[in-house]
Amino acid sequence: MISWPVARAAALEKLRSPAVLAVGFCLLAAIFFGGSGPRQAFSGPGIAFLVLLTLIVGAGILSDELDSGHAQLVLLRPLTRAAWVGGRLVGAGSALAAIVAAAWVAGLAGAVLRGSQEPWVPALAILPLAVLWAFAWLSVLAAIGAVLPGWTNVAAAVLAVLAWAMLQGSLPVVLKRPELVETFAKVGKYLGPQDPLELATRPREGLGPAVYDLCWIFSAWLVAVVLFNRRELARRRS
Amino acid sequence: MTGGPLAGTPALEVAGLKKTYRARGGAAIVAVDDLTFAVRPGEIVGLLGPNGAGKTTAMQLALALLEPDAGEARLFGGDPELLDARRRVGYAPDAPLFPRKLTGLQILVLHAELLGFARRDARQRAARFAERVGLAEPAQRSAGTYSRGQAQRLGLALALLGDPDLLLLDEPTAGLDPAGVAAMRELLVSLRARGAAVLLNSHLLSEVERVCDRVLFLKQGRLLRTHEVHAGGRTLEVRLANAAGLAGSLGRTIPEGTLEGDRFRVPVQSEEQVPALIRRLVEAGAAIVEARLAGAELEQLYLQIVEGRA
Repeated sequence: MISWPVARAAALEKLRSPAVLAVGFCLLAAIFFGGSGPRQAFSGPGIAFLVLLTLIVGAGILSDELDSGHAQLVLLRPLTRAAWVGGRLVGAGSALAAIVAAAWVAGLAGAVLRGSQEPWVPALAILPLAVLWAFAWLSVLAAIGAVLPGWTNVAAAVLAVLAWAMLQGSLPVVLKRPELVETFAKVGKYLGPQDPLELATRPREGLGPAVYDLCWIFSAWLVAVVLFNRRELARRRS
Repeated sequence: MTGGPLAGTPALEVAGLKKTYRARGGAAIVAVDDLTFAVRPGEIVGLLGPNGAGKTTAMQLALALLEPDAGEARLFGGDPELLDARRRVGYAPDAPLFPRKLTGLQILVLHAELLGFARRDARQRAARFAERVGLAEPAQRSAGTYSRGQAQRLGLALALLGDPDLLLLDEPTAGLDPAGVAAMRELLVSLRARGAAVLLNSHLLSEVERVCDRVLFLKQGRLLRTHEVHAGGRTLEVRLANAAGLAGSLGRTIPEGTLEGDRFRVPVQSEEQVPALIRRLVEAGAAIVEARLAGAELEQLYLQIVEGRA
């Protein structure tokens, strides 16, 4: 399901990207200065950079290789398309995890320097949870990237989120049915990965979103593989 | 890599291949039409034809990178998509592109690992093949900085990385300097000696003539003719001062030669044969005025078959 050589190469590629490194540095700084400890920092100012970092790492996650033609050479090796997609996803996720881990260490160092008294368990738990959430979004970008060229997977994801937000805000008003606000909020929770950070402090509330995100990662990978297979077969027939 | 080529089984076999592309207006462009040929172990086969003759498409069909409208391709007697077949194949495309941020060495290591080599072996192998194609120093740099020739060399190193039993090379000399072309020639000959099968697509007629055992002339997707390149495409041509009185003795001494006027022509396998042949001619009483190694006039053949010139 995962090609580790492909994953290693994808991680290296992402970590050598100036855009990824620049946003990673901003995330690191935001977490370091952002709160009394990693938990607060990731829930507060750091989240904007985490979103941006996820978008940049996920941009062209599959199409970079497909557009360059290198994917064709790689897929001529004894390797399945599913393993290639899995490798690209895990590689990009590993690069993201490495940067988030560095930011977490920076957050902890900042908290210690400021003499913060943040409890250890939530501070430790926030790292895998933040990575899980970002990774779930990365898998969404991979699924979209299986059919869209270049960086348009990010554009499509951002547009979809904005469109949903507009629909959620305007439709109840237009239809004069305020009760729809609550319905939309309930449905909206299941249209993308959920925020699992609660798990660090309130396990009962946070467990559901964390499990949901794990399922989301697997499903999105599956969708990416199916879409990529269809795209490849169509390309070969064209 | 895994097991040698099976005796008698072609490394590559295509039968009745047809591929049509759709142009924007909906018009059908026949890229390959009823193409049938085979490449056997230890054989170098050249694909010759003008631009748009379907040479690259034929290679991509053979590797299942494209799906044919009709016909089939087989690698080592089996489905080209089988992972075991893929382990035994090397492919160097025309103008290959690579991830810009990875170094040549990192790309080679990735492919070596995909071929099943352990990480440590993959690193050693990557370095060895980078050096073999003359890319030792540039391999440390990002592939995004490579010239066309360097990218071509990296593509070739990737194709050779798994010691393939079948190698498909699409314009491998395009962008190479003369030293690179000469190295490529030596490489192809050494691959043939090892028993590998090679399908070579090149516009460089002189190179095709020197290394190929057989040439397939393609035009508009159709196979026009198969030409056996006699003895690597070379002939020893000797002009004699006393040809008239030697017909009988030359025929007995060198039966594979032919005498036309004052010219005696003998097909040769390699340059190493030439001194011995000259010695035999002299021993047979030949008064040699001039001797030269000539090609098999592949260019003339090409013009005649493909361009339809007399």
